[in-house]
Amino acid sequence: MSGRTVRSQVTVPLLRRETIGASYHVLTFDVGKDQSVLPGHFVMVRGAEWGDAPLLPRPMSYLSGGPTPSILIKVVGEGTTRMARAEPGEPFSLLGPLGVPWRAPNPNRRQVLVAGGVGVAPLLFLARTLVGARRPIVVYGGRTRSDLPLDDELAENAELHVTTEDGSRGHQGRVTDVLGSLLGDDVEVFSCGPDRMMAKVAELCAKRDVPCEVSVEAPMACGYGVCLGCPIPATGGGYVYACTQGPCIDARRIDWSRADHAPRRSGEGGKTA
Amino acid sequence: MNRLETRIGNLVLKNPVLTASGTFGYGLEYDDFFDVAELGGICTKGLSLEPRAGNAPERICETPASMLNAIGLANVGVEAFCRDKLPVLRERNVTVVANIFASSTDDFVKIAERLDAESGVHALELNVSCPNVSHGGIEFGKDPKLAAQVTSAVRKASRLPVWVKMSPEAGDIVAVAKACEDAGADALTAINTIRGMSIDVDAERQRLANRTGGFSGPALRPIALRIVWDLCGAVSIPVIGIGGISTTRDALEFLLAGARAIQVGTASFADPCAARKVLSGIDAHCEKLGITASELVGRARR
Repeated sequence: MSGRTVRSQVTVPLLRRETIGASYHVLTFDVGKDQSVLPGHFVMVRGAEWGDAPLLPRPMSYLSGGPTPSILIKVVGEGTTRMARAEPGEPFSLLGPLGVPWRAPNPNRRQVLVAGGVGVAPLLFLARTLVGARRPIVVYGGRTRSDLPLDDELAENAELHVTTEDGSRGHQGRVTDVLGSLLGDDVEVFSCGPDRMMAKVAELCAKRDVPCEVSVEAPMACGYGVCLGCPIPATGGGYVYACTQGPCIDARRIDWSRADHAPRRSGEGGKTA
Repeated sequence: MNRLETRIGNLVLKNPVLTASGTFGYGLEYDDFFDVAELGGICTKGLSLEPRAGNAPERICETPASMLNAIGLANVGVEAFCRDKLPVLRERNVTVVANIFASSTDDFVKIAERLDAESGVHALELNVSCPNVSHGGIEFGKDPKLAAQVTSAVRKASRLPVWVKMSPEAGDIVAVAKACEDAGADALTAINTIRGMSIDVDAERQRLANRTGGFSGPALRPIALRIVWDLCGAVSIPVIGIGGISTTRDALEFLLAGARAIQVGTASFADPCAARKVLSGIDAHCEKLGITASELVGRARR
């Protein structure tokens, strides 16, 4: 049969899996060609031999691109549990790059990256591309010291400020406690983490008139605008879809007051990084 | 000759493989993956008279070998469909089945009339079985009289073939099917999703904002197959099988049970090319047996 193919789903082997602490892993795949992945893009990931369950691919932000792209996962459910046990050579189907990547950093501003837990992935990817420019500032928070995967890599690429809620590392408190003093006319913010964190970051930035871009998370079945499972309440009413209008989006386009701030699903299904 | 050619009433399809409403957008979203004109047809996202924003999040969650969705029929509306989507589909020679939804018979008729005025729509699929909206939808599909009333009204308002999508939640689905046949339906699509729910044990709350959502995916397949078998034995119009079809062998089960064609739904999420793979597989199967797709239909009933 004929048929043009532009974006495609590829089945590729896992190249390696590195474990970080109790619940984080970096999975690197051997795609064999450069798919023009940019920081902020995401990929739908599914074990090629999973059969009927887990059924759906998992949306994951890229941690790196190139011919051997990687993702950072946190074990939260059935799919990520399988990924956390995967051995090199195991086949995975990858569909990407998808979504809207981070907007181009403004060379006249210093970048302040605000990360919560596993949300660090697209921000570390971004930080690595800022080499040569002025080192970005990163504010990185978690509940406790073990919730800060890849902090050492961040420290190599950025001026790093760490917060933990229990005070086991860095400043005791939240990223937003530290962020206020870093905001000014000459910075712009990129943020990825729990909704509540991003809502607070967006609020602080709006008050100070600092540009703020966030990478949102929502459950998705497809990743390319068909299932309509990933609505994010939009400013002015209605929804934007995380997969095609995000995941990276200007924080002012989101109606944070309508975003669901109740305890979120404990499992997976959302873009977890 | 084309061994996969499939007749649904007066409508001739290239082959018996279609994609299910709600899992294939308006078709154009799959442009990057393959030429959707290769398919027997695509069923559009349910179209309403006015655009709909859909339900609040969370709208979907995964369940064992299945998923739940409560999208709430978010769609661009029939007017935007005719203006923005249909011309492209027409130009590409895509066989388009417009899935339509309304909360009253009058509105069903208005949407049908609007689509009737366009070229490039090959059939209408009446969604009288959506489980995710508070008015209309499933109420029509549970009651033989209401289902017949909608079918008859649309039948009179449009020159297009009318397919009616059956709800598995009808108490007596055979009665609904026969009522639709008597009211002039050209074909039946079976089945729509069935309502399910899921609770997040750690958060101690329902996973879907709508509480319930349509249950779809491989786990639904045995139920769908049973209903398709029953309907094929009860009506003489074609039945189009749908429910958890992911692979060629899944599709063959429905054809062997008597379905004239099939629709691939949830499987397109995990593999955007799922429908095309099913199509290739059916073609290879027919070649191996030296028969046409039509000759496969109902062979398990002999």
